Amino acid sequence: MTATLTAPDALRADDGRLVLEVAGVVDEVPGVRTLALRRPGGGLLPAHPAGSHVVLDCGDRRNAYSLTGDGSAADEYRVSVLLCPGGGGGSAFVHRLAVGDVVTASRPRSAFAPVSTARHHLLIAGGIGITPMLSHARAAVRWKRSFELLYGHRPGAGAYLDELRGLCGDRLAAHGSTAEMLAAVRAALADQPLGTHVYVCGPAPLIAFVEETAAELGWPGERVHAERFSAADLDPGEPFTARLARSGTRVPVPSGTSLLVALERAGVAVPNLCRQGVCGECRVPVRSGRPLHRDLYLSETERAAGDSVMCCVSRSVDDELELDL
Amino acid sequence: MGAEHTSVPRWGSERPAPDPSARTVLLVGFGARGCAITTAWSADVPGGRPVEVLAADDADESVLAVLTARIAGARVGWRLMLAGPEVDVLAARAVALRAGVLDAEIRCAVTSTDRKRVYCPHCRTTTATTAPVGEETPCDGCGRRLHVYAHVSRRAGAYLGFMADAEEVA
Repeated sequence: MTATLTAPDALRADDGRLVLEVAGVVDEVPGVRTLALRRPGGGLLPAHPAGSHVVLDCGDRRNAYSLTGDGSAADEYRVSVLLCPGGGGGSAFVHRLAVGDVVTASRPRSAFAPVSTARHHLLIAGGIGITPMLSHARAAVRWKRSFELLYGHRPGAGAYLDELRGLCGDRLAAHGSTAEMLAAVRAALADQPLGTHVYVCGPAPLIAFVEETAAELGWPGERVHAERFSAADLDPGEPFTARLARSGTRVPVPSGTSLLVALERAGVAVPNLCRQGVCGECRVPVRSGRPLHRDLYLSETERAAGDSVMCCVSRSVDDELELDL
Repeated sequence: MGAEHTSVPRWGSERPAPDPSARTVLLVGFGARGCAITTAWSADVPGGRPVEVLAADDADESVLAVLTARIAGARVGWRLMLAGPEVDVLAARAVALRAGVLDAEIRCAVTSTDRKRVYCPHCRTTTATTAPVGEETPCDGCGRRLHVYAHVSRRAGAYLGFMADAEEVA
């Protein structure tokens, strides 16, 4: 893979993307590999808000991985990737990388930043969801923000546990059992100073538990922030037709084919990155017809407005969806 | 005057109801009509939730100090409901917003909008007036004739005024 990427044309092929060399590989715990990424010639990488991610080119796909640093400009990014044997191949690609390999990645993208006006930050991590929370905790320590971290992990498999203990001291509560973790989450949500914001990253059931418990305990949604790994497995969906208002073209979207893929096959270039309803890049304006929203990006208000659709995962309620393309 | 995009609050004709997801509620009523609303609200808060009711003639420093103290001691799940003239509701809301309370945690019922406070950016004095938006009022601080503009600062709880004849040759 190194050979194909070192050609200058390949490096320029996608403006603004970072070319990074694997400078270190560490296995935190079995199955979780950390990459240290640097500019091949050295030098500072762009700073970023805590909780940011980069979209890494992983062979034929692109995956978003959280940066674990505090976000101040540094000469190294670190990402930690859990190997998912049944996944789409992105994590396996990362686990095959070795020191000296060159990869390309987006600049940092911020979709899970700490709220600057918060009085206290309640950080909740499950499993590999610790990666953005590590960034939050480091930034909170650096900037002397009030915070606490609840970390649920498999017994003996808590990535970064030693480091977190040193970083957070008694602000860290780590739990090796799910029941214990959920009880601790509920207790923490039950009594926080007004002005607290809660951030959660982890498996979908943990995020759902936090959102439901918070709502039950009177937390407005504006105080609850979640970072999901990906949209849940989606059904193939009903077929529909996309009508492109500007060209008058009609693009059929069969069941099992995404609107994004159908548009690409019809020769319509739509900017996109994650292709799983998370990053927000492939938003397309809708002129008429009701979108069937299946993404994790649009807010409730934006969904209700019905004037745009994330075409990588979302479809159409009506037989025809008219796009402003 | 940019009516479509103005920051002047539209309070709506319907009085909001207490948030059913609230765990504790502070109700603040200004004037007789405001206090009548907080009395009605206190009966509408779902049972078992602690409710505190404050009554005041207007949003003076003492009631705003009590509000500040309550916010400092509040836990997530707390809600604030304000009722009374716009000038008092805006002043109390500004204190809450500056202390980190979210819009989602505040509900307001406004009983009148004739009185307002106007901030002068030339001398930084805030002047009480009954002049409507678009008209003029003299600044208490510097005496300039202020045009009352259709802009309300959420943080200051005041309308913006600016020198009415600033572009005229003296």
